[in-house]
Amino acid sequence: MASCTIHTAPYSCSISRPAAKAFSLGFHQRHQQLIFFGSGRRSAVVCSAEKTVVIGLAADSGCGKSTFMRRLTSVFGGAAEPPRGGNPDSNTLISDTTTVICLDDYHSLDRTGRKEKGVTALDPRANDFDLMYEQVKAIKDGVAVEKPIYNHVTGLLDPPELIKPPKILVIEGLHPMYDSRVRDLLDFSIYLDISNEVKFAWKIQRDMAERGHSLESIKASIEARKPDFDAYIDPQKQYADAVIEVLPTQLIPDDDEGKVLRVRLIMKEGVKRFAPIYLFDEGSTISWIPCGRKLTCSYPGIKFFYGPETYFSNEVSVVEMDGKFDRLDELIYVESHLSNLSTKFYGEVTQQMLKHSDFPGSNNGTGLFQTIVGLKIRDLYEQIVAERAAASAAAAKV
Amino acid sequence: MATAAAAGISLSSPIRTVPVAKAELLGRKPVRIGQMLPLQRMAATAGRGRVVVVKGTQSSTPPDISEKVEESIKKAEEACAGDAVSGECAAAWDEVEELSAAASHAREALKANSDPLENYCKDNPEADECRTYDN
Repeated sequence: MASCTIHTAPYSCSISRPAAKAFSLGFHQRHQQLIFFGSGRRSAVVCSAEKTVVIGLAADSGCGKSTFMRRLTSVFGGAAEPPRGGNPDSNTLISDTTTVICLDDYHSLDRTGRKEKGVTALDPRANDFDLMYEQVKAIKDGVAVEKPIYNHVTGLLDPPELIKPPKILVIEGLHPMYDSRVRDLLDFSIYLDISNEVKFAWKIQRDMAERGHSLESIKASIEARKPDFDAYIDPQKQYADAVIEVLPTQLIPDDDEGKVLRVRLIMKEGVKRFAPIYLFDEGSTISWIPCGRKLTCSYPGIKFFYGPETYFSNEVSVVEMDGKFDRLDELIYVESHLSNLSTKFYGEVTQQMLKHSDFPGSNNGTGLFQTIVGLKIRDLYEQIVAERAAASAAAAKV
Repeated sequence: MATAAAAGISLSSPIRTVPVAKAELLGRKPVRIGQMLPLQRMAATAGRGRVVVVKGTQSSTPPDISEKVEESIKKAEEACAGDAVSGECAAAWDEVEELSAAASHAREALKANSDPLENYCKDNPEADECRTYDN
């Protein structure tokens, strides 16, 4: 995919060498492949006129196989698969346009190491942020890297795999926004904030069928991780451009099954190339119940809210959905009233949701907002591509 | 798709009726996909030589991961019996969480590959066997 054309600034090629500063050489001709052997890592020079777009996703739920990732890659087209012929326990997903890498691969301590030191995976001491920064920067500059693999089954660090720069790189894990250098590389960042009650309900559903687990063990596991989570992971949400907050529903009193959810999409204002979605009138406060004469909903119904708010001293716009969709026409009705969705045709959000109706969250705000964020990222990517095309056209004229 | 039919389509549970002929070929009665018992799935996939461990629950984890989860829970309970706020206790429960997540991914992977009809319909949604109905 990388191609070299004759350009003057700002396009240049750089060589990534482990523990060495990257420097620009200003290649203008065809591909040059140089392989350095040093400290067990090889890097290749790839002359690329396009910088990879990097998206960061902070989530606590394991890597690469999450529903959000699958929806996102589906918006761009094509299914994301683990790399063919490589380590079967690789956490990486690759589709035509997108590569998703799991930040657990940058653990500096494997499971035994963490147990010895008494640190959880959430602790920054268990992660190599220097390597993370170095490699994400290299991929962004168009250089392929050999990325380590953290095997979740064995708990060991496996030999590295080659990651070639894609058009869009998504880094998913616990600490995408923790290190300020990595944060600056991100073109867009998302934080998936699951409230404690919902997390508990989901983990019960996930683990109760597992032999050995009981309600107490699930609860103890959440409680034991909470201090590290609150100290290291939670603060990242102030840096995110979009936060998807999942809370228990307010429509059903004392609901503890986590089946009906209240989901808030918190969008930072003033982010480059990102226009927040809104309901009816941008900047105003709207409370909307779509169910009524035109639309019949089943219990407990659907409730929407939109308004400007302040979130960690940032100006944000919040769209909130409480309830669940039961029918296609509810979804299409809601979609037709939301604005700034960056869809390419009427009903695209509904179509994407239908395509993956078997995914969890397809009938509530989690699926809806994840799909919408996916479309927003697609829009951001296309804006970047258009800007580059315009810049190179201008440069060519000079 | 007529708009009248489209308006009534349910998002939550697509019902597929497997035409009898094909069902008999696969050696099972027409049933809803989601409610197929593990035993029936096993019969359906027996020809491929896959071993599916059935524990009497709808979704089954590969036994090695399942054992690891059990062990890690025991170890965590021991580690925390002494000091509930120590780093070792937190690290032990973190390991439990990691293995539980791995187990759930393994379950999903097994589910995703175990049903030949689902796999066929993913690629050919317009085929007769794959039409979904909502009544």
